[in-house]
Amino acid sequence: MVAAVDLLASTVDGILIGSIYALVGVGLALIWGVMEIINFAHGDYMMLGALTAYFLYLAGIDPLVGAVAAFVVVYALGVLTQRAVINRILDAPLLTQIAVTFAILLIIRYGVEAAFGPYTRRIASWYANVYYHVGPLTIPLPKLIAFIVSLLVAAGLYIFLFKTDTGIALRATSQNRVVAELMGINVKRMYDLAFGIGVGIAGLAGAILALFYPIFPEMGAFFALIAFIVVVLGGFGSVFGAYLGGILIGVIESVSALFVNPALKDVVAFIIFLLIILVKPTGLFGRGE
Amino acid sequence: MRELMRYARNPVVVAVSALLLALPAIFSITGQPFYANMLFLSLMYGVAALAWNLMQGYTGMFSLGHAAFFGVGAYTVMVAMLYYNVSPWIGIWLAGVMAAAVGFLLGFPLLRLRSHWFTLATIAVGEIFKLAFAHWGYVGAARGLQAPIVGPSKALYYMQFTGPFVYVYVALLVLLVEIVVLYRIVNSRTGYYFQTIREDEIVAKTLGIDTFRYRMLSLVISSFFTGLAGALYAVRFHYVDPFAVFDLITISTYISVAGIIGGIYSFIGPLVGAFIFVPAAEYVRVKIVSAFPRVFGLHVVVVGVILLLISLFLPEGVMGYLKRKGYIKTG
Repeated sequence: MVAAVDLLASTVDGILIGSIYALVGVGLALIWGVMEIINFAHGDYMMLGALTAYFLYLAGIDPLVGAVAAFVVVYALGVLTQRAVINRILDAPLLTQIAVTFAILLIIRYGVEAAFGPYTRRIASWYANVYYHVGPLTIPLPKLIAFIVSLLVAAGLYIFLFKTDTGIALRATSQNRVVAELMGINVKRMYDLAFGIGVGIAGLAGAILALFYPIFPEMGAFFALIAFIVVVLGGFGSVFGAYLGGILIGVIESVSALFVNPALKDVVAFIIFLLIILVKPTGLFGRGE
Repeated sequence: MRELMRYARNPVVVAVSALLLALPAIFSITGQPFYANMLFLSLMYGVAALAWNLMQGYTGMFSLGHAAFFGVGAYTVMVAMLYYNVSPWIGIWLAGVMAAAVGFLLGFPLLRLRSHWFTLATIAVGEIFKLAFAHWGYVGAARGLQAPIVGPSKALYYMQFTGPFVYVYVALLVLLVEIVVLYRIVNSRTGYYFQTIREDEIVAKTLGIDTFRYRMLSLVISSFFTGLAGALYAVRFHYVDPFAVFDLITISTYISVAGIIGGIYSFIGPLVGAFIFVPAAEYVRVKIVSAFPRVFGLHVVVVGVILLLISLFLPEGVMGYLKRKGYIKTG
């Protein structure tokens, strides 16, 4: 029998790690919602963010400042990718779209491996080993910071999407590209923004994840798959559905580790993924096909 | 069959076939296992890519989970040999049957899906197989399975030859069987049904085609031949582990890369694609990455760049381009 306190501890830990999954998923959902492109390289932009924070940390810059820089760097790379490559395949068949983002995945992931070596790197910030004890729970400060940053980013994204003219234009583009264009919205600029912000948020998530997680060239593989599960759970294209989906997957993964062999927790995640696709492909919070 | 025999008299086909038959012998005499191995890998990926394209190019189902069938095929050869003492000469065909059975069972949930949902689900299936085999004690869990080391008297029974040369002929045999079978299928009524489903599933239904049945048939045949490719891997390398044979990048993605580069609307395109990117990647991996381990992963970047350039500028693939320009008439 699982003790109630273990269940509580797992749930809290799941919410904390789930807030990272949520950020990665939100970026993927934004790109899908606005551009109808599935970005298979998403986890690799996240890795680029973590790597940016690492190199800045080596230069003596605090990882939290590095996280902001990671957003800016990955945002710029995202806009570059969008203009050079993604723009050309917006109306291409599904096969070409997936092949192109997969090619970007191969180039980024193994390009980093070839350029910087297949090594595992760690950021050892001053708060890496600070823990808070709340009743029976132990909460590591890095995960708490990650959770707070995640909430702040989500709040910022909400204000951007719902309270600013640019954000409203972005949402209009996601609803109907042609009508948005007729209303005088520069759709190409919206695509730059969507792809840039989408991967930028993933880069930021990578940077704050690096506070307590090792950095290696292939780290994006796992998180990209988690992001797909999150986005499917939240409903494709639903940004805040993806956020809740991320928290939910974090909790499911963490709690299921109490009941099944922890080494198989990824299998649990994939089986949930398949079940959602088969039973309710519009997700829990989706707006339909 | 008559049309296939006409191809057999085409001078280009004859020349390429003769070259493929002669090359392993030439490499063997001149002592160039590197090029023979390159040839073997191109054929292995070619076998899998032709099978993959029956689903993608002919039936319109984009799978990124063919590693599941490839891996099951590879493991079947090893399990049959280690636990039941079955020669790989028979094991290769058992591998196809086992992979087809897995494809049949997976078809019931997977074929309910279409478009990107299907693709995402196949990725999940491939990953589930990898993780499940990595924890399954019967097949050696994460350590995988290793073929027994046998003396020269049993080498033929256990298919253990020195160097890659003989294996190239085994791969050629499998490829020949595959080409004859697939060519007959795609040029039969069944093949036309597949293509109708690819163009418009609702139209196919209206015409009275049982679309579930034919999509299932396409999946099962495709998984059979992908299982054969996995079996080729197992007999060639005498060792199978879950992270190699169920890999999303080097198996599932590479198979589809071969198809996309060669051209999915061409029968032989995927084989041509495998012969383009496998030698390029192998050359970089062996000649550059092995010499400078610091640039580990560079060969995959090469594959990525080829895939990106073909997708952007030649989306119909190399064979599609040649057909459009009129350099070749069929194929």
